[in-house]
Amino acid sequence: MNYEKKYVWSVLFRLFHWAFVLSIVVLAVTGFYINDPWPNPWLAGSRGFPMADMRYYHFLAGYVFTAALLVRLFLYLFGNRHERILHALPVTPGKVKNIFTTMAYYGYVTDRHGEDLGHNTIAGIVYLFTYVAAAAQVVGGFYLLYPESAGWQAWGLKFFGTQQQARHMHHLLLWYFLFFALVHLYLVVWNDVKAPEGMISSIFNGYKFKPKHNGSAEG
Amino acid sequence: MPITTSELVNNLSSSRRDFLKACTIAAAALGLSEAMIPRLVEAAANPQRPPVVWLHFQECTGCTESLVRGSHPDIARLILDIISLDYHETLMAAAGHQAEQQLQATLEKYPGKYLCVVEGGIPTKDNGIYCKIGGRTAMEILAEVAAKSAAVIAIGNCATYGGIQAADPNPTGAVGVWDLVHDVPVVNVAGCPPNPISFLGTVLHYLTFKRLPPTDKLGRPLFAYGRKIHDQCERRAHFDEGRYAEQFGDAGHLAGYCLYKVGCKGPATFSNCPAVRFNDVGVWPVGVGHGCIGCTEPGFWDTMTPFYERLPGIEIPGGRGIVTSADSAGKKILGIAGAAVGIHAVVGIGKRILKGKSDEDK
Repeated sequence: MNYEKKYVWSVLFRLFHWAFVLSIVVLAVTGFYINDPWPNPWLAGSRGFPMADMRYYHFLAGYVFTAALLVRLFLYLFGNRHERILHALPVTPGKVKNIFTTMAYYGYVTDRHGEDLGHNTIAGIVYLFTYVAAAAQVVGGFYLLYPESAGWQAWGLKFFGTQQQARHMHHLLLWYFLFFALVHLYLVVWNDVKAPEGMISSIFNGYKFKPKHNGSAEG
Repeated sequence: MPITTSELVNNLSSSRRDFLKACTIAAAALGLSEAMIPRLVEAAANPQRPPVVWLHFQECTGCTESLVRGSHPDIARLILDIISLDYHETLMAAAGHQAEQQLQATLEKYPGKYLCVVEGGIPTKDNGIYCKIGGRTAMEILAEVAAKSAAVIAIGNCATYGGIQAADPNPTGAVGVWDLVHDVPVVNVAGCPPNPISFLGTVLHYLTFKRLPPTDKLGRPLFAYGRKIHDQCERRAHFDEGRYAEQFGDAGHLAGYCLYKVGCKGPATFSNCPAVRFNDVGVWPVGVGHGCIGCTEPGFWDTMTPFYERLPGIEIPGGRGIVTSADSAGKKILGIAGAAVGIHAVVGIGKRILKGKSDEDK
């Protein structure tokens, strides 16, 4: 089968992706430490500041995470056609049908799959939910970081409640991101194994490969 | 001849020295300059000061008890001296119909002038029949007394946010004062019990400046609840340095390490406890080795328990009621996701072994 090389992910999108990945890794590790610090060998009077350091890296990564989320929001509105918000949401009959073809493909019912260059519709919905969860983490995180600021207090109380409730939600959502990472990694490797379309390398170099047809390219 | 402030101060049941001392403590708690102390003294000793009606609803009287404790007679006497209590079920001599007459007399004599202090939550379920005094429900009494008052001071977690009565499943539908009173300014002096200094500071602020102190979004005066316990805690250095009591009585606990891992809620709680402390002997819970239990926060009993674990043990709906914390829920969800991924991979590999390679790979 012949494949043709197609440019899908812009530089900014790939930067967003890796900033998001790295910040989530740092946030998860430091987040678990902050929640339940593991015993450390530093004795009183030594110069170890593990909690202060962990919090510092957590906040730093939190800012990277926030910036990445804002970049994604920008790309949702002004990115290339694969990156825009409506590209992978069930807004047309074709996109709705894509949900079922993707499910059949993932369920080993068929080897045929939608030739979506960007995300398939299921992925699009899950990503949108993930960004909403990320926004909740950002608002909750800043509420926990600046508990005495009237502005964050207003937002935090509105969406989460007290500091304790916000912390609980913040921690619960951390588990969502772990869940997402597990499924996401599995599915990209699975897709890469199933079809030589360069799904994994596309997030490094921006290119995907699609079977060559006469005419019918999907958008 | 009208009595002067100095005469009044000299005739108080507490000594003049104690009175001034307590006013100074309150001024310090309020963050006021030394120059303001005379104004505080004047306001506190003003014979025209507003009378106070103190209502008791669903509560344990712990707030009153902590205010009038014998261990700090200065503050207790001062409170009883500076606020002219017209009605307080625990402290007043009158009882029964006499007491209720006293209440009505104050309402008629000082409409819009008296201060209303509320202690205890207000049950609202079934028209509020779960708390009745003199044949009237707490809701009726509060609606009448608060509406005619100049301002309402809710004291304690029950009067501010419902307290233990409002804990799940909240059988009496208990709520705090500010859920019911909207036409009159309400200030929340939260805590279980609140520090007497925080109450005193709020009252003195009102007497001196004729308005309630500025509050946060939860209605708590900023001078007392503006900062997190965690950020003012004497054990904070141990937190940053990663030194924790792993359990009560271990070496870390004896060495005075941070109580974060034994469930201290200081990081989620706003109060002046580390600075103002209790009982005139400079103690507070964290200082004596017990974590903060978060008693100044709304939803205190639901969100701050278990007291010895960091996160609340909230039942997560949708499960079978067995999931009690984020971590156990998270591990289960991740485990199920991992299992699903594993099964999916095994099916794919199995299919490939059975069917041979697909066309695409050839």
